[in-house]
Amino acid sequence: MIGSRREFLTRSARVGLALGAAVPLLQACGDDGDSEGSGGGSQVRDSIADGLEPEAGPLRIINYADYVNPEVVAAFEAQYGVRVEITTFDTDTEATTKLASGAVKADVHHSVSTNSIGNLIQGGLLQPLNRSYLTNFGNIIQSFNDPWYDPGAVYSVPYTYFGTGIGYRTDRIDPAELDAQGWDAIWMATEFAGQVSVLDDEREAFTMAMLRRGITDINTDDQDVIDQALADLTELIDLVNVKVNIEGYKDIPEGTTTIAHTWSGDMIAGAASYLPEGTGPEVLGFWHPPAGQYVLTNDCFGVLANAEHPVLAHLYINFLIDNAIAEQNFGWVGYLPALTALDADYVIGAGLVPENLRSCIPTAEEIDKALYITSLGIEGDAKWAEAWSTFNAGG
Amino acid sequence: MAIALGRHERRTNRFWSAFALPGVGWLVAFFVVSVYAVAAVAFGSINPLLRTAEPEWNPLQWDTTAFTDMLDRVVNGSLRQVFLRTFAFVGMALAGCIAIGYPVAYYVARKAPAKRRGLLLGLLVLPFWISYLMRMLAWTNLLQPDGLVNRVLRWANLMDEPRVWLDGSWTTVVWGLTYGYVPFFILPLYSTLERIDGRLIEAGRDLGASARQTFMRVTLPLSVPGLMAASVVTILPMFGDYYTNSYLTSGSPKVTMVGNQVEDYLRGSGQPNRGAALVLILMAVLVVLMVYYLVTTLRQQRQAER
Amino acid sequence: MKRWRARRGAPALAAITWLYVLWSILPVLVAMRVSFNDGKSRSSFQSMSMRWYWGDPNASLLHDDSLHTAMFNTLQLAGLTMLIATPLGVAMAIGLHRWRGRASTGANGLMLVPIVTPEIVFGVALFLVFSQLYTGVPDGLTRQLLGHVTFTLSFVVVIVRSRLAAIGGQFEEAARDLGATRLQAIRLILLPMLTPAIFASTMVVFATSVDDFVISSFLSTGASTETVPIKIYAASRAGSTPATNALATVMMVATLVAVGLAALALRAMNRRRGATDDGGLAGLTT
Repeated sequence: MIGSRREFLTRSARVGLALGAAVPLLQACGDDGDSEGSGGGSQVRDSIADGLEPEAGPLRIINYADYVNPEVVAAFEAQYGVRVEITTFDTDTEATTKLASGAVKADVHHSVSTNSIGNLIQGGLLQPLNRSYLTNFGNIIQSFNDPWYDPGAVYSVPYTYFGTGIGYRTDRIDPAELDAQGWDAIWMATEFAGQVSVLDDEREAFTMAMLRRGITDINTDDQDVIDQALADLTELIDLVNVKVNIEGYKDIPEGTTTIAHTWSGDMIAGAASYLPEGTGPEVLGFWHPPAGQYVLTNDCFGVLANAEHPVLAHLYINFLIDNAIAEQNFGWVGYLPALTALDADYVIGAGLVPENLRSCIPTAEEIDKALYITSLGIEGDAKWAEAWSTFNAGG
Repeated sequence: MAIALGRHERRTNRFWSAFALPGVGWLVAFFVVSVYAVAAVAFGSINPLLRTAEPEWNPLQWDTTAFTDMLDRVVNGSLRQVFLRTFAFVGMALAGCIAIGYPVAYYVARKAPAKRRGLLLGLLVLPFWISYLMRMLAWTNLLQPDGLVNRVLRWANLMDEPRVWLDGSWTTVVWGLTYGYVPFFILPLYSTLERIDGRLIEAGRDLGASARQTFMRVTLPLSVPGLMAASVVTILPMFGDYYTNSYLTSGSPKVTMVGNQVEDYLRGSGQPNRGAALVLILMAVLVVLMVYYLVTTLRQQRQAER
Repeated sequence: MKRWRARRGAPALAAITWLYVLWSILPVLVAMRVSFNDGKSRSSFQSMSMRWYWGDPNASLLHDDSLHTAMFNTLQLAGLTMLIATPLGVAMAIGLHRWRGRASTGANGLMLVPIVTPEIVFGVALFLVFSQLYTGVPDGLTRQLLGHVTFTLSFVVVIVRSRLAAIGGQFEEAARDLGATRLQAIRLILLPMLTPAIFASTMVVFATSVDDFVISSFLSTGASTETVPIKIYAASRAGSTPATNALATVMMVATLVAVGLAALALRAMNRRRGATDDGGLAGLTT
């Protein structure tokens, strides 16, 4: 294959040679970049050395939209005298694809999802972290020191943790009724057709459909289970004219969405930043399944293997896990940082989370019994992706 | 064309071809090779860990699994309705373009007072210089639940409840496509209508035909080439459009078009080979229109240069 | 008499036309007005303010770096595209116009294909070729530039060719008869006669590049290579403010002013020459 590829390149270069003007260009293009495009490299084992000076920047970050407080970023910029550039993505897979294909160059992956982090590590996309730069690492909650997705937390630092449930308007849906209905509430929300959404994430969306039927083996590649989930989800298109997006954090507070499959952090964020003037946080509600059926996820920081500013990247991560900075960030983002100091009582006491959204903060028991979405094999992935495409095609 | 050229002509010919070659080289390097890359990805494999494309450049080793899978889904499976829906949306938007664009182009080309024509032409060209997404942004403002459209409709008592327009209703998508593409439809049609020889129309009138008959029997048939060209240049981009509907419908599966699936496969999910295969299938569907455009354009060029 | 008769059927058509003109322009004006909204809403207008232009300390056009970057990128990209695509396209048009033979027909056909290729095909193809083959072109702006030149090259060729067909060969032949070399004839006779067409095509290239969303977005490598259309598109996803409208408004005004000035210059040029054509722009429309 390499032979044929080279031959191909030579041939196109030869065409170029005949052309005068295009020559320098084609030669530049023909340079076979080895650090990217080839993908599938092997795990990176060496971290950067101790005591290096931070680079001049700019620090390039890839992150979801609206997922870090701009003031925190500005504070980092001021402190280190560098510029920060943030590229956004919509789904975790999209981020992986962009990074792996070299379409996006970044220093810090701000939010690797725990279900794909293993692949990113094995694929050689992330570099091991040098803890000597992460002086605030001790602030991290103990149980994240040796997480299931990255033993020993060698390649990652947890950014936030949250659960998946239903965000809704308490002024339109009776909380007691919703608690009784559970996941069914989404299917029963026919009177709110057009104001119902599910997460634009194939794993989350199908997982919800599976949990609704009491299936807790959510990392299955059983075609029948996937097909059933697809059929259930497809029903939502006609029943409630379902939208597929991840904008519950603003659509529910703004009122254009009434009930949504969301992450717990979306409701806290909505209460903090997106309620129209004159509307209090009590209009927001969050339901999640009981411990044992509750899916938790955490988003992690990672430093890309080909980062051009790895020292700065470490310093940025360290900056974000400083207790005071994390609190400031949390006040805007609404996704709880995985820091011991910021527990439920503290954040509610500090007025960062309204009491009625206490359910958005996972308890120790819920963390203990949590379900996790984990990486599927390539076959399983193809099945889920196919089903997802079918759902997006309208069923 | 196959006539043997003398030595002098051959040298002249080489002189002229030298002018064209940089451009040709550019198109080969960045267009032909790029399209070939789509095929190489479609018939290649994907990286098992990172789900990135691993293209197969050698056609002899092409793996057709992904392609036949996708083809099967287009013919029998869930993508069939996506293609049918795309056809329907494009068809309706085209009908809208004709209904709005023909009278407008006809008026400006043949009926408008001469002193107004320059101004009108300027106004017809204006949207061409305004960013397409700016024009769509305008509609997302107007179609908000408390936006101007709902307020006007309620004020006129045409509606009791404010309607949610941006929730994935197909009318909004067809509306958006029509609004977006009408300017591109009008211009080619205008230039054909404007070039129709006025004497032919007068001859029709002088021979006793009514205005309507003259239009039906003379003007309309003579404008058919323009109508076709205008339709082709609007249909082709509409088929690949994925931003209009996703911009106007915060992600509803009800209005997914082929372009959205292509984008999802290539950027959202880790299945780039399937996305590339879908692009090939889309090109195959559109090839008739593309060839029609090429053939008519080449014929016109030859006539113009004769 | 005939003129009067011809105009009789026109009131209905005139009404449709003017309604269309209103319909095509009013929404844009409304969007511009939203950019002056004091509140955060994109639909209900509160009071007039320059908050989203420079008032707001974080989110306004003046203070949000990502918005400047987008504007700068868009203009830079369009300018560079113009500089490369125009000479390349003019040369190609002259060559294709005269060059005879089967290879020429092939080249001509190849030149036309990009015009009929749906943008998503273009975008995907360029995206894949840059991520799989031309990986030596690392940065997004260069990728976008190469993509935009590829995408707009054919427009230049078509516009210039239609002008070439209108000019005919007699002027050049006369120059040759008077002893000019072929290159001199091109430089002294043909290029000046082509100026309006070249001018018109630079305008089209500029506007096409400024407007392009699909190719820019597929070839963007991150925040530093986002263009204005990418920003406007992203606004439908993330929480958006009237700053998006302000961005679009500024870009639109800038484009219209540039195009307007170019059109005036073109008209002055034509008047001096006593010609009244549109520089071959009509060639684009067939």
